[in-house]
Amino acid sequence: MDVLIIKDLKKTYQSKDSLVKTEALKGVSLEIRAGEIFGLLGPNGAGKTTLINTITTLEKPTEGEVMVFGKSVVHDPMFTKKKIGVVHQEVINTGFFSIEEILKFQSGYYGIKNNLERINYLLEKLSLTPHRQKKVKQLSGGMKRRLMIAKALVHSPKLLLLDEPTAGVDVELRESLWKFVLELKASGVSILLTTHYLEEAEKLCDRVSIINKGNLIYTGKPREVIEKYSTKKIYLKTSSGQTHTLVDSAAKSIQDILKEHHISFSDIVDIQIEEGRLEEAFTKMVNL
Amino acid sequence: MIIPFMTLVEKEISRFMKVIVQTVFSPILSSFLYLLIFGVSLGSSIQMKNGEVYLAFLIPGLVVMGLINNAFQNTSSSIITSKFSGDIEDIRVAPINHNQIVWAMGIAGVFRGALVGFITGIVGEIFFYFQNGTLLAVEHPLMMLFFTLAGGFIFSFCGIFVAFIAKTFDQLSAFASFILLPLTYLGGVFISIDNLSPFFQKLSHANPLFYLINGFRYSILGHSDVQVPLALGMTLISLVVTFSMARFALKNGSYSRW
Repeated sequence: MDVLIIKDLKKTYQSKDSLVKTEALKGVSLEIRAGEIFGLLGPNGAGKTTLINTITTLEKPTEGEVMVFGKSVVHDPMFTKKKIGVVHQEVINTGFFSIEEILKFQSGYYGIKNNLERINYLLEKLSLTPHRQKKVKQLSGGMKRRLMIAKALVHSPKLLLLDEPTAGVDVELRESLWKFVLELKASGVSILLTTHYLEEAEKLCDRVSIINKGNLIYTGKPREVIEKYSTKKIYLKTSSGQTHTLVDSAAKSIQDILKEHHISFSDIVDIQIEEGRLEEAFTKMVNL
Repeated sequence: MIIPFMTLVEKEISRFMKVIVQTVFSPILSSFLYLLIFGVSLGSSIQMKNGEVYLAFLIPGLVVMGLINNAFQNTSSSIITSKFSGDIEDIRVAPINHNQIVWAMGIAGVFRGALVGFITGIVGEIFFYFQNGTLLAVEHPLMMLFFTLAGGFIFSFCGIFVAFIAKTFDQLSAFASFILLPLTYLGGVFISIDNLSPFFQKLSHANPLFYLINGFRYSILGHSDVQVPLALGMTLISLVVTFSMARFALKNGSYSRW
């Protein structure tokens, strides 16, 4: 079953004091399948956060439909709110309470009274156990981000929305968050992730969509995107001492490329292949 | 349904309990000073028309003032600090509906307001005992309960309304100092409207706080500047109006971070 279905979603912002309309989403359709990690890639201002906010019921769609676990987000917002967990892009501070208290209150908001077992599990998983009595302002940036993830997971949601979870996070923490995201996936959670770190999408996502200026330009497996829109570079040294640099579509096999350039395998002394990357495909598509 | 609601009530109460010096002790200190200076020192030279001591007139006024100021402060500062820190988003995303939010915050506001009002009342009673050798009796306890709850909710709802509508900190403090403060002082916390000029007497009848303060005063003293049914009616109307304002603000107000 599809966990999330978005059909022809449009969102237009009409500013109050002028007649200018901003079309943040211009007819987006996508669906997320049970247990997959879906990446939404796009430059700043492409409409990623607007899309997330429409799913979390913070914004009402201007047109189109958003269904979470088969129910319309507009008609049954409480159902959606219970089913999903959200990690917002901006880090949230809370001045008065410790991490443990924040997570207890958060559980209560979702109707769960004694949730200490789950809270302990999340604190452990996100390496926050030693800091459980600290207040948010005493935490480092990375810990705050992990706290936000813990908050989004207290009620064990089956769909998790991560809005740029690793923005401003160091390499080590990023790797550990990725590991955790994959664990969540293994436990049956479907994840929608927005990012502009393409490496993240390449490593984690089963499928990605590229969004630009409110339109989805492409949806497919990261591998497919790379093959379709990026290039493969081959550096060769032949037995005659010549060096060649061959650049071709990432989808083509080395055999075909060599054949086209009339180079036989037996002539090759040294070979170096640079595989196409999502980065390149992305840049190409966004600039189309 | 009930757990999210109770959680929000608990969170709002523990928020002000964490900063109790500022949220409870400091308003009690100012009530104490009012009682000492106006009630005891200046009060001895004030003649009330029915021969009553001024302190007896002042105590109910200060209790209501403590109640409404702190109910207003509790909801408004909770929302404003949440706007600063961004955690107002948590409540928007969580499965809690607007009615639950309004009532939960309202209950916490009433709780803080009633706590300050209650302690102010006790301090007032101590002063009264030393001055008159007896305690000031409450004539109509049930009516006192009604005006306490109604006054607390009205100003908690006001706080929710202003805090959500306000786009800057200035707008919030403008409401507190240019609307709330004059209405409280002119509503009869310190004086009977008989002492006002005819123009201000007339104007007082348009002040919703006049009915609340004098209704509360009636519940303790058994007499005041207003007819009781009118005070009850006007207070109920204020309750409905401010509740609708709070609901409106939650729906249309700004949740954006400052």
